[in-house]
Amino acid sequence: MEPIPKKGTPERQRLIDEHRRCVDSMKGVAGFSVLECRTPGDTTEVGGGIYIDPTLRRVLLRMRGERPRGKLVVICTKIEKEWRIGRLSGIRGVPPTFATDEIYTSEQEIQHAIFLMRLDELSESYGFPEDFDEGWKRRDDNWPAT
Amino acid sequence: MTSMRLTGYADKFSVHPGDKIQFYVNCDGPAEYSAEIVQMINGDTNPRGPGYIDAKIAADINGTYSGRKQVVHSGSYGYAQDARPFRVESFTLQCWIWPTAPKTHPQYWKHSAQGLIAKWSQDCGYGLFINEDGCLELRINEHRITTGVPIRDHAWHFVAATFDAATGAVKLYHEPQVVYALDPVIDPVETVLSVAISHAPVPTTIAAYVESLAPDDPLAASSKPAGIVFAGKYNGKIDSPRICNTALSRQDIESMKLGAQPGLTERRNSGPSGRLSETIVAAWNFGKGIDTLTAFDEGPYGLNAQLVNCPNRAMTGYNWSGTNFDWKHAPDEYGAISFHDDDVDDARWSADFEWSVPIEGVKSRFYAAKLTTADGDEEFIPFWVVPRVGEETAKIAVMVPTISYMAYANEHVACNAGGAELFTYRVPIMQQQNMFLSEHREYGGSIYDTHTDGTGISISSRLRPILSIRPKYDHFLAQAPWQYPADLHLIYWLETMGYEYDVFTDEDITYDGLARIENYNVLITGSHPEHNSGPQLDALHNYTQRGGRLMYMGADAWYWVHSFHPAYDGAGRGVVTEMRRCESGIRTWRADPGEYYHQSTGELGGMWRFRGRYLHSVAGVGMSSEGFDISSYFSRTPDSLDPRVSWAFEGISYDEKLGNFGLVGGGAAGLELDIVDTMLGSPPHTLAVATSAGRHTEAYLLVMEDFGFNQQGTDGTTHPRVRGDIAYHETPNGGACFAFSSIAFCGSLPWNNCDNNISKLVKNVLDRFVVDGPLPAPPAGSVMHRGRADYDATAPEHRSRKERGEPLPV
Repeated sequence: MEPIPKKGTPERQRLIDEHRRCVDSMKGVAGFSVLECRTPGDTTEVGGGIYIDPTLRRVLLRMRGERPRGKLVVICTKIEKEWRIGRLSGIRGVPPTFATDEIYTSEQEIQHAIFLMRLDELSESYGFPEDFDEGWKRRDDNWPAT
Repeated sequence: MTSMRLTGYADKFSVHPGDKIQFYVNCDGPAEYSAEIVQMINGDTNPRGPGYIDAKIAADINGTYSGRKQVVHSGSYGYAQDARPFRVESFTLQCWIWPTAPKTHPQYWKHSAQGLIAKWSQDCGYGLFINEDGCLELRINEHRITTGVPIRDHAWHFVAATFDAATGAVKLYHEPQVVYALDPVIDPVETVLSVAISHAPVPTTIAAYVESLAPDDPLAASSKPAGIVFAGKYNGKIDSPRICNTALSRQDIESMKLGAQPGLTERRNSGPSGRLSETIVAAWNFGKGIDTLTAFDEGPYGLNAQLVNCPNRAMTGYNWSGTNFDWKHAPDEYGAISFHDDDVDDARWSADFEWSVPIEGVKSRFYAAKLTTADGDEEFIPFWVVPRVGEETAKIAVMVPTISYMAYANEHVACNAGGAELFTYRVPIMQQQNMFLSEHREYGGSIYDTHTDGTGISISSRLRPILSIRPKYDHFLAQAPWQYPADLHLIYWLETMGYEYDVFTDEDITYDGLARIENYNVLITGSHPEHNSGPQLDALHNYTQRGGRLMYMGADAWYWVHSFHPAYDGAGRGVVTEMRRCESGIRTWRADPGEYYHQSTGELGGMWRFRGRYLHSVAGVGMSSEGFDISSYFSRTPDSLDPRVSWAFEGISYDEKLGNFGLVGGGAAGLELDIVDTMLGSPPHTLAVATSAGRHTEAYLLVMEDFGFNQQGTDGTTHPRVRGDIAYHETPNGGACFAFSSIAFCGSLPWNNCDNNISKLVKNVLDRFVVDGPLPAPPAGSVMHRGRADYDATAPEHRSRKERGEPLPV
């Protein structure tokens, strides 16, 4: 499993900077990937991001595979205008709640904000024996597979 | 954020001129709302496109209506009307259970005791339950007797209870079918209760209990039966429930597992023995009438139970042997019904207004009842005006993929599945519809979801508000329109380009067959007609074989087997659709062994491919990969220069990037992609005129049905079959198919006010396909013998662009 780079390390900053570049280049695209559009807002040619940084790629895969309980999600609060960060409950019938008070005016910008939050929140030992619990023996929707 | 205070649905998807359509509205809060009929033209709010567009229709029902709250009573159960035999003094209750959520989280949306078999309400009566702690519990009036033993989920247990009114003796049995080495022994619980059963005037219930009789409560009007509110909706299977009017011995209980065994007077009377037959109140056989909504009682009184909200039948029972996989051949091994607390087959709301569609003057188009309030609430109830067969008004028809809309109805994947973000490759965005549904599970889920107990959803009804069939709704998979709003990109293009067209739905073609389509020169599909009935595929085949022209505007079509449940035919066409996710295909859940055959029609579910009906045989291409981050574009191939098809590229230069723009993923090639494969049903003469090979991201992955061994190298950056192929082939009698092979494709049509090369390509094809009579014959030299696997790789027309020395786009 890919460890999460520790706070304050150059490696972490490198991931943040690369993610930032990708997010900025994706503004205007009706979709999103952690890749850099050669022409901003145009997916004709993409590169960078997860293609050039295997650590960034693996860290993102780990973040994406987190279980639903407490997982960060984007909530659109005004169509095409406002987005906020939410947190999934992991319990059927209990809706997500807002995780912060911040209102984002770009659906791509909020991807970066969530990336930064996850870098701080994700357990360094996720997926290693130190994290073993009874849930590992039970397949359900909460595993990163459908 | 705005909560959704307005929700609604109509009794029909498809309505003919001169017919009536009813609208059902929940207005939870506002005193009144306005309704108007609008024609839907564009549903996408993306600022880089034309924006949301509708056109008001002068309809006599346009006006203001009083608001009222209406609720959905979800959760499946069975009920038998109150009858004298149920009013016992002593009893034996017994059944097999396979609970899926015996103990729920305290915050779970229906955290409560669950009813198994009960004639019990408000401390009157008797019944078997699973209590809040997940233990078997017998209720007699206000008394609760429990084993105190948590019931293992996802396992069969035999449970029974006896009560002898004369002695007050109570005995409660919990006998797991499988006992593991370290499981404690569960002894029967015995006690004595000095009590006479008080009988409430309530139905006997299976998988629920009666919470209250509320004949005057308007919110109880949408329960079934109206005015009776049920609670304690059970999650799991029940098999072979029995009620006897005597406290039976354990040996007699064992005999009663056999059920009532009616049929031969001279042998058994109506029970396993003559003596036992006299004690039977009801002995339901769920293996009988699997394709109905009746739970048949084989006991002497015929106390059949009505099933509500379409629980799953054709489910393996406690005695399934693993040798029969089709319930039709072994109904006795399919005596289980699987109940879920979020099943819904019909919201059963009261109608708020009804529109008689004028016979003249209302074109066949996409419409909606647009509901608004002064506070800014907004809701759309979509429907389609469809001409009667024989009264077509155009040469072009759009086939609206309503079965696919139903399959995706009210999906919850973004907030349920841990893996959702791995296929979108970004953090999902939830719209207000998703937020509302995450709290209102009673609106039911999609066939992509699992029930609240984790079991796959295989049933979807259109008689409920379906918040995903809405404009101004970006789907988390695409971060852009998907299905209904994405198909409006096509509608916007048809309107902008000035074409005259009719529309019809999957229901119409399923029920009307070839008659529905044979008078059109060309059919245009939606962007993602993934879910199809057999009669629909038959009709499309018959159409193209007889000279019809098909424009397949998307990808991942003709994939899943669907059946409309015949038990709902009385409520209209195509009310409830069923689809089981069987052994392969892209599946967000997988059916259990032995549960592949549909309860509604008995047909084998799963992919059409595994029924021997290859996707590629319908329009020349079939799904090969999917990915949901961003889209790319197509390049022409040498096939596009073939005079059989070169007319399609008039005005488009050979090296143009086809669709490197768009409102879905930023390009015409994206989301899900189809390719030509002559080994999987593409006719050998199919021309692959453009391809997006080599341009997709690593989020795009080869479909699992195309490989048998897990391996690296199956993503868009590495695998040659992760691509879309735009394809053309001729069909007999002057017919043809043009396949555009990408779900994102239609999202490029509106770009730059429809002035772009994708628009030009589609226009060239449509203009050629729409003409009367057979298409011009292909050049004589194109008629030749062609193999499937076998082809001449050295022939110039089969060489790559590079080998032919043709320039490649920079």
